[in-house]
Amino acid sequence: MASFQAVKKSLNLAPTVRARPSGVPLVPSLNLSVRAPADSHGHGHGASGPRVDTPPSWAGGVTNSQFGLFSKTYTTGPAPKISHQRLLHTSVVVKDAPEVPDFGHYRAKDSDNNRALSYFMVGTMGVLSASVAKSSVTEFLKTMSASADVLALAKVEVELSSIPEGKNAIIKWRGKPVFIRHRTQGEIDEARSANWKTFRDPESDEDRTQRPEWLIMLGVCTHLGCVPIGEAGDFGGWFCPCHGSHYDISGRARKGPAPLNLEVPAYEFNDADGKLVIG
Amino acid sequence: MSLASSFYSTIFKRNSVYIASVFTTAFAFGIGFDSGVTSFWDSWNRGKQWKDLRGKYAQDEE
Repeated sequence: MASFQAVKKSLNLAPTVRARPSGVPLVPSLNLSVRAPADSHGHGHGASGPRVDTPPSWAGGVTNSQFGLFSKTYTTGPAPKISHQRLLHTSVVVKDAPEVPDFGHYRAKDSDNNRALSYFMVGTMGVLSASVAKSSVTEFLKTMSASADVLALAKVEVELSSIPEGKNAIIKWRGKPVFIRHRTQGEIDEARSANWKTFRDPESDEDRTQRPEWLIMLGVCTHLGCVPIGEAGDFGGWFCPCHGSHYDISGRARKGPAPLNLEVPAYEFNDADGKLVIG
Repeated sequence: MSLASSFYSTIFKRNSVYIASVFTTAFAFGIGFDSGVTSFWDSWNRGKQWKDLRGKYAQDEE
């Protein structure tokens, strides 16, 4: 147990500096009377010699005596003064008055002109960018439209004088049959006198024809896409053999499963050449 | 009242007027630019296009 106590006993490490019993450190090799080197150590600040900001030795100093370090001041030496002004420093130079240059020479004589010019330049930029945006949008949309060769194929011309009155003609347009009926006056009267408001797809004959004697329709049954037979059916018009839809002499669905009238394509008459242009 | 200040007070002062005039000017500029470029193209390619040569050939056919 006793040896254990001895191990736990605290130790003080030897001090690096010896001290007298009074507590004054004893450093025999410390030379406290050292001065600044006598040469100018080569960076040109004037005469060599002791530092100007240290008090001279006759005014006092620190001595290392047998009894310890002694600091003694025999006289009140002059306070270390700054012998020259330092020109390089980081603090802002305080000036008596702010030295702002006169910019009057550069100022505009008339600020209205400058303001109008600024707005004008901004507006011109807006004009240019708006036209660029508009033209890019329209050019992009033009790429979606049909090209000229497709449009040329999309039209069909029919010689009207080749179809006698009371006859049907079937032509092919965009891969679909088109019925052209040269109607007689009796058929026109029949088509126009019908009470079309009660029909499944109410549409007047005036809306379906540009000229009463010419009826132009797509020959595709609106039910399931068969091609109806002309001059057949209960109403003297067209009859679809697939599921028995009846169309009248204006191409309107009158009986059977067809939900809509036969479709009328876009067409126009070319009176100079006596032609019908579909498409 | 100078020209600049009259411009400012009529066009630039209200933003709605400013933007409307920008868009109308862009519209007119687009039309003018297109027609200008087209006329330049036609004058540059004078005598090479179908519309210049059409009279020559169409009369021969008829």
